[in-house]
Amino acid sequence: MRKLSENLWLKIASLLVYFFLYAPIIVLVAFSFNDSKLSTVWKGFTWKWYVTAWQNRSIVESVRTSLIVATLSTVIATIIGTLAALAMVRYRSKLISFFSPIFYLPIIIPEIVIGFATVIFFGLFGLKLGLSTVVIAHVAFSLSYVIFVVRARLAGMPSVFEQAAMDLGANELQTFFLVTLPLLAPGIISAALLVFTLSLDDYVITSFVAGSGTTTLPLQIYSMVKTGVTPEVNAVSSILLLVTIALVFVSQQFEKDRPSKLAYISATIAIVALSVFAIGGSTKETNRRQLNLYIWSNYASKQLIEDFEKRYNAKVRVEIFDSNEALLAKLQTGLVDYDIIVPSDYMVTILIKQGLVQPIERERLTNLNNIDPRFLGLPFDPENRYSVPYTWGTSGIGYRKDKIAEIPDSWAVMMDNRYKDRIAMLNDVRENFAFALKLKGYSLNSTSPEEIEAAAKILKEQKPLVRAYDSDAFTELLVSGDVWLVQGYSGQLGKAVLEYSNIGYVIPKEGATIWTDNICIPKTAQDPDLAVTFINYILEAEVAAENSNTTGYPTPNGAARQMIKPEMLNSPASYPPEATLRRCEFLRDLGQTIQLYDLHWTEIKSQ
Amino acid sequence: MSNLRRNSLTDWIADRYQNRFWAQLVSLLGPSLGWMALFFIGPLLIMLVFSFAKRGVYGEVNYAFSFDNYLQSLKSIYILIYWRSIWIAVVTTLLCLLISYPIAYYIAIKAPKKWRSVLLVLAVVPFWTSFLIRTYAWILLLRTEGLINNFLIQADLINVPLKLLYTDWAVLIGLVYGELPFMILPLYASIEKLDTRLLEAAMDLGANRISTFFQVTVPLTKVGILTGIILVFIPSLGCFVTSDLLGGSKSIMIGNLIQNQFIQRNQPFGSALSFLLTALVLILLWIGLRAGAKPE
Repeated sequence: MRKLSENLWLKIASLLVYFFLYAPIIVLVAFSFNDSKLSTVWKGFTWKWYVTAWQNRSIVESVRTSLIVATLSTVIATIIGTLAALAMVRYRSKLISFFSPIFYLPIIIPEIVIGFATVIFFGLFGLKLGLSTVVIAHVAFSLSYVIFVVRARLAGMPSVFEQAAMDLGANELQTFFLVTLPLLAPGIISAALLVFTLSLDDYVITSFVAGSGTTTLPLQIYSMVKTGVTPEVNAVSSILLLVTIALVFVSQQFEKDRPSKLAYISATIAIVALSVFAIGGSTKETNRRQLNLYIWSNYASKQLIEDFEKRYNAKVRVEIFDSNEALLAKLQTGLVDYDIIVPSDYMVTILIKQGLVQPIERERLTNLNNIDPRFLGLPFDPENRYSVPYTWGTSGIGYRKDKIAEIPDSWAVMMDNRYKDRIAMLNDVRENFAFALKLKGYSLNSTSPEEIEAAAKILKEQKPLVRAYDSDAFTELLVSGDVWLVQGYSGQLGKAVLEYSNIGYVIPKEGATIWTDNICIPKTAQDPDLAVTFINYILEAEVAAENSNTTGYPTPNGAARQMIKPEMLNSPASYPPEATLRRCEFLRDLGQTIQLYDLHWTEIKSQ
Repeated sequence: MSNLRRNSLTDWIADRYQNRFWAQLVSLLGPSLGWMALFFIGPLLIMLVFSFAKRGVYGEVNYAFSFDNYLQSLKSIYILIYWRSIWIAVVTTLLCLLISYPIAYYIAIKAPKKWRSVLLVLAVVPFWTSFLIRTYAWILLLRTEGLINNFLIQADLINVPLKLLYTDWAVLIGLVYGELPFMILPLYASIEKLDTRLLEAAMDLGANRISTFFQVTVPLTKVGILTGIILVFIPSLGCFVTSDLLGGSKSIMIGNLIQNQFIQRNQPFGSALSFLLTALVLILLWIGLRAGAKPE
């Protein structure tokens, strides 16, 4: 009786754990078939997210990149790892016991440390970030796993067969290829599959060492999760899930002593098919000129890219960054070869000062006079030698009209106790300080330690009210009802105002940030000539108008204005009146003072 | 004379054998060791050098030997961050242990024999899906109008949605979820070897269920427990994506702090922090291994 109850208790506990393990995955897969853009309400069955994911070029390309990286890493790591495992089991030497602890390090040292160290190392030796750096890093962290798996198999394998072969006259090579290798094959294959999965899944280390053209699937998924707009993410995830489960199944087969023929055949087919897909995909279009675009998410419309490719017989590769600082960090490594970048105003100053961007050939920019003169000659680049404005906007307050009774036209609302846990702020030092400094009536470019201190005090006070700091998904937070008030950019929020009747946007009366995002050509660009062609192309009125209408970001292109959707043009969220704009200020580069901001910001985040 | 010749002959054979031995050993072990030395140890050494350098005005690295970075890392705001990280990693590890032990015990001992390997694989399959995707799934479940809140409201258990996402709890759930298999597997491996007759003996000798568990079962499965703790604790300590996605970037952990140094272009300070984190892990590992080795 007592025994039964103990069993029952264990059974229930185990069932609960299985439920805990599988519930999220089931939900994820189920919602990949949900016919609604909002990811939490069931609206009926559809396949469409699988179709859109398949048509989404950046997803497909990232899958291809991941496959190439995983295949190369697997081949290299498996071969040299297997050799090392052989040495470690079959040879006795002090050398081995001395060096083998090295192979434990990748398991012991936190991934973030490995990523950080590796990118510093590549920077020091000027190795361009790209496919090779990603593969090098992946091999380095997965070698240990190969060695452990193969060594375990070897240790359980008696050496009598090899000795017998040698006695019967086989030489060492023959013995290795005819006896050792076949016996070892299951171990090697399961090690290879392990490396393949590890490589396919790695985010942390890859995020440090990836350069242009090496956005792997995890990096792509990360930026999709961050901006998290459609169930496309679920669709991609479900497919990935299916693939990994299949791989795991095959590798399980190989861990048995005698894997079935079927397992061998399916593993061979899988590996051959993947390599063909990966290699075939990568060499398809080498004869076209290539333009590497490093840009914010949802910033260039599909049509803009495709029309450019057609007209100039070029291939455009789009990659995403999520903050100006991240962009700077990547450029500063000097190891990336983007042709076009889109920094904000104050970042242009820093990039010019550091010599990271090159002057643009003005005489070739025949469409530059399409730009509204208000957006030319701004203080960060007075003669527009290095930059051309691409979009502009403000950072104000987005709110739920159905939850907030009065129009929140003052930053003070972000300190209102009634809205505790219903407030989200941008995850950005400068914008948070802009809010606090403006609330105090100071300039948002203050360099006075007292003013900065006072602003930091406000931010500290405000923190308990804040639900999340997020620079990417603030619109989604608002639409999903997680929060009612967000500090956000007028681009996404302006679009949401047009799409959802219950969403509003205001520029607080104390003033706010006005910004432009600008097209620049990095000094290390591979094809600056094509880059200039591209800049002149996007300055065309039709192109700028289509892009603005699709992405929802206001354009500084005056000639394009007449083609902008009227509802957008008339929306004060997207195109605020002149008087409102006069209250706004551009962020400026603060030189060393930024370290003071950073210090305060870390302190706020440490609580 | 002949003696001498014989000697030189055996020497020659031994020599030749020795050379071949070394040649084979080096050609087998060389590639892996070389790769690790160049692309793993190399970066760590350079990071060590960087940790004594200084940040320039625009984030360049000025080579000047000083302990400033390490001194700076002892400031109270950073200590708070380490403390938080350690605390979260400890709670994650304990929760994992608490959740994993019953299921590992059930699979290894109580479940019908033919089901054991299936049950084990089932417990590990979620680990083979992308960890970003698993984290994302939790966002769907935890948001204010997410599935858990919707369910609770429809079941009339609550009126107002609970605050689930962007809390420390959400970070803990995400971490526990992500690290669970690393605990289940080693626990299973050591519980499976447990000789159940010892438990019966303890009961026969008058021990009750609880004291049998703590005085017999736990000590006998100590290796599994320790391995699990190590495998869960290390990644939890260095995590930064989970706290970003599920914690709403509100409170940062050591991982985020290091990541921020890369973005704020302070490589020297980031290097120093990385070394502190590594040192912390190694020290804790050493303590753990010593504790595990003691009874033997």
